Amino acid sequence: MLYLLILPSLLMFLVSFSHARKSKYILSFSTFLILIPIVSLFLMQKPFHLLDDYLIVDKLNSYVLLLVSIVAIGVSLSLLTLYKHVKIQEREYHRFYRFFAIFWVGLIISILANHMGIFWIGLELATLSTVYMIKTNKSKNASAEAWNYMLVGAIGVSLVLFGIILMYASAKPILGEDAMNFSSLLLHAKEIPYPFLFEMGFAISAVGLFVKMGFFPMNLWLTNIERAAFYPVAALFSGMLETSVILGFFRFSDIAKEVNYWHLFGFTMLYSTITIFIVAFLIYRSKDFIRLFALSGIEHMALVAIFWVSGGTFAALLHLGAHAFIKPSLFLATGILESNGKYNFNGALKGYHGVKGKIFLFLVGLFLLAIISLPPSPMFFSEIYGFSAMISFAKGSDYFLLIIVNIIILLLLLSIIFYKFVNVYQMMKYEGKERQKKVYFGEIAALALFALCIVFLMLPSSLKYLRGIV
Amino acid sequence: MIDFFIGMFLATLISALFTTRLYRLLFWYSMNSLALAFLALYIGQDINDNPLIISGMVTLIFKAIGIPYFLKKLSLKHQINRSIPPNISVHYAIILIPGILVFTFYLAQPLSQMMSEHANYVAISISSLFLALILMMQHKSIAPKIIGFLTIENSLFLLATTATGGMPMIVELGIFFDLLMAIVIINLLFLKNEETA
Repeated sequence: MLYLLILPSLLMFLVSFSHARKSKYILSFSTFLILIPIVSLFLMQKPFHLLDDYLIVDKLNSYVLLLVSIVAIGVSLSLLTLYKHVKIQEREYHRFYRFFAIFWVGLIISILANHMGIFWIGLELATLSTVYMIKTNKSKNASAEAWNYMLVGAIGVSLVLFGIILMYASAKPILGEDAMNFSSLLLHAKEIPYPFLFEMGFAISAVGLFVKMGFFPMNLWLTNIERAAFYPVAALFSGMLETSVILGFFRFSDIAKEVNYWHLFGFTMLYSTITIFIVAFLIYRSKDFIRLFALSGIEHMALVAIFWVSGGTFAALLHLGAHAFIKPSLFLATGILESNGKYNFNGALKGYHGVKGKIFLFLVGLFLLAIISLPPSPMFFSEIYGFSAMISFAKGSDYFLLIIVNIIILLLLLSIIFYKFVNVYQMMKYEGKERQKKVYFGEIAALALFALCIVFLMLPSSLKYLRGIV
Repeated sequence: MIDFFIGMFLATLISALFTTRLYRLLFWYSMNSLALAFLALYIGQDINDNPLIISGMVTLIFKAIGIPYFLKKLSLKHQINRSIPPNISVHYAIILIPGILVFTFYLAQPLSQMMSEHANYVAISISSLFLALILMMQHKSIAPKIIGFLTIENSLFLLATTATGGMPMIVELGIFFDLLMAIVIINLLFLKNEETA
């Protein structure tokens, strides 16, 4: 099964060395092969051991793996027409795929890992391979940002490893080498002999994971990188990397919850609120699509983290799924939206003709309104469920007033973001001159795939599956 | 003996912080890795832990010899400027470094009640992590930043060796693999930098 999961990326890696004319189609469509093992994984009895205790398939990671794989398929479809929007040499295009394949393998490893060390190895592999994808853009800015990503990303990942070592040290006296296993740690969380050491390790690891997702104080670091790279890189970051990183946070926080729930809740709530506070004002001042969407991605990940630790696991997973489909679609759409200049919101939704143009217009409008949680977006429901979970949590706690004040602050900050997005939508639709824009098959196929997946996510059977995960 | 190797590890790192020439920095990184490798070999032999001995040998071959040699070749190939004056002047660094050491010992004090044997080693590991971060921050050019990144890896290895008696073998090998991947990426970035310029 593991071979089947890695086969599409392996095929992609090998085909990337070929310079045959049709190779770009093989590169793109090879990603569909991932659906075969994923469907089989969904049909299997879980937890299923893929590689001893190291790689395990459970309900949570099979869901995340599905999200990540669909994003990989969507992005690879849009890559078919990348050269129509940006200047890219064929050699660079193939190299992009080569590192995309390594990135994908890294993520599959980290998603399936039941071992803190293997989770870290997968994440580091994914981080390093992204560096080169950023560099595919030949601008000086992209070059500087690639180095920036390499170094700051490495610091973030090092913090994660640092925390892992401390957590391992805290539980090793009772569990031995099994202290690296998520499942063993969870089972014996209450018996950890040095809870202080574990919590210190958890906090450091969580900060490392948050840094990777662009949380405070690294908000602009991530947005600048996404701005400098070609737009599919931003789609990969938001749909694949962030989704996998937050899964790591879920795993660590489940154990931390058993050690000391209040410390976990207070830490995550404070960190995420500070992040959303800063991001809300940065969104309000943002002047281009990529930065706007990148900052919005940070806000959504912070919300997912808060929902998860508040006990709203269903809300967190629904929000995560919706974000994984909507955000890459918006990033992929920027290739066309920005075809008349990066810093031009005005009239970005004007000038589309023909069937493809009309479909694009409809889907982008839909995604833009869905990202700010307008019904019937899944984000609308996830936020309702998430905030309800927070209120229920507050009722059972000694800090009722503090949590309620925090919820009000969060809602105020979300309203700033809502206002900005509505304003941007109006500028795109009603202001500026009409300039003709061309839409190609690649983007339409990717956007349609993501739209279809959002519909599937809202089906009663999907929601039932999400409820049954935790 | 463990104290001696850890002392050497810290001393070489502090020397690296005051270095203004690239090759000398590579030399100190190599010495730093050498101290780490001997430490791992010594502890591995002491507690009869074969994976730790293998990790020590891999550290010796790759980090103490292979990577510095490769980076030197790379700097020659791409004619990287060998003068790397730090942004933080020596006067301030002399105050800052002991400050960090004292701070990390204070930070690790609660650990001394939990870990009767190795609390000081953990403190030194944390301080070397901070010092490696300073090494990254105090230089504008890329080469010393890369050495800083590699030194962070060394600090983490030191922490893993002293706090836990070594990580599981599969993790150690994975970390080495990632390190090699990082070196490949660094090489590619240098190549692409030349193409862009």
